[in-house]
Amino acid sequence: MHLETFSPPTDAGFPWCDCPQCLYAPLLSTVLWFPERVVVPNRKEYPWYHRSYNRVPTIDQCYTDDPVCFFEANEQWIRDRQVDREIVNILRQRWRDCAFYEGVDAPVKCVELQKISEDAETNFFIKYGDLSAYANVKDCYMKQKHRMLWERRHGPVGTGMKTEQ
Amino acid sequence: MTVLSVLRAVAGPARLAITHNSQQVAKMSDHRAMNIIPSRFQWNKFKDMLHLYFVGAAIPLLAGIGITNMMVGPATLSEIPEGYVPREDEYYKSPITRFLVRNFTRNEQMEYEKKMQYIWETEHKRQLRLIEKRVKKLMAERGDYKAWYYTPHIARKYQRIVRKETEELMERRPAA
Repeated sequence: MHLETFSPPTDAGFPWCDCPQCLYAPLLSTVLWFPERVVVPNRKEYPWYHRSYNRVPTIDQCYTDDPVCFFEANEQWIRDRQVDREIVNILRQRWRDCAFYEGVDAPVKCVELQKISEDAETNFFIKYGDLSAYANVKDCYMKQKHRMLWERRHGPVGTGMKTEQ
Repeated sequence: MTVLSVLRAVAGPARLAITHNSQQVAKMSDHRAMNIIPSRFQWNKFKDMLHLYFVGAAIPLLAGIGITNMMVGPATLSEIPEGYVPREDEYYKSPITRFLVRNFTRNEQMEYEKKMQYIWETEHKRQLRLIEKRVKKLMAERGDYKAWYYTPHIARKYQRIVRKETEELMERRPAA
């Protein structure tokens, strides 16, 4: 958090105080003087990294009697599910930020972001939704299989079941 | 108990004296006296515990954390260089976490591989035990192999008698 990169909101929301910068800046410069000028230059910079995992065979490439392959596929699936959750969260947050900024105009001005967010949520639910909290990769794979069978028999999801003719 | 009830007459004016000054109020023969004051046990205990938890625990820990963050500071996130395999503690930001990971924690990748080895071993054992179970079942059904269910029959005559009697018994009680 540096003085140059911090940008307070330009509109404080109070009609009698329209430039909060005049309130923020002296306070921040006072508080940030000590860490920026005294502490940080006396420290060595050193890196940290995000862990990078290699891709392993997915569950559809594993034999049925290979539990080691299943274990690795399951771990990968858990990681991928967490990544997908974060993606959906980010897209949703973008829509919400736009709606918060626009206020009353949100249904008109934030339509693209809303569509993107809702599509992402739908796809997430297609893949991971309605599996229990203890789901594993095989449950997800079987869900896909059952959906494809259902679509083969009844047509696309959302068009209703066909009765026996 | 009777002594104290006798002192009640004496303690009348003395009780008033307690509110003004906590001087000697109980008349006793000796020069040593007992100051009867309200208990300060809870207050003293509170101060004692406060002192312990702050001076013993909170202040050293907070000072350590503050000094570490000021002297050493957190790490900066960066890309992994080409062909470089970071140490286990280079995956964490705080210097304290890095210290603990370096000296006290297990290696995550090693534990993963160990878990897979355990799964592989138990799967092998499971397959062997399944085969053993199947073999035993077949030997019990067919009775054609001298390994598990073999008993050398010496008393054949006795066996024939027992078998005949059992069959007659089963005929008499068909709904068993």
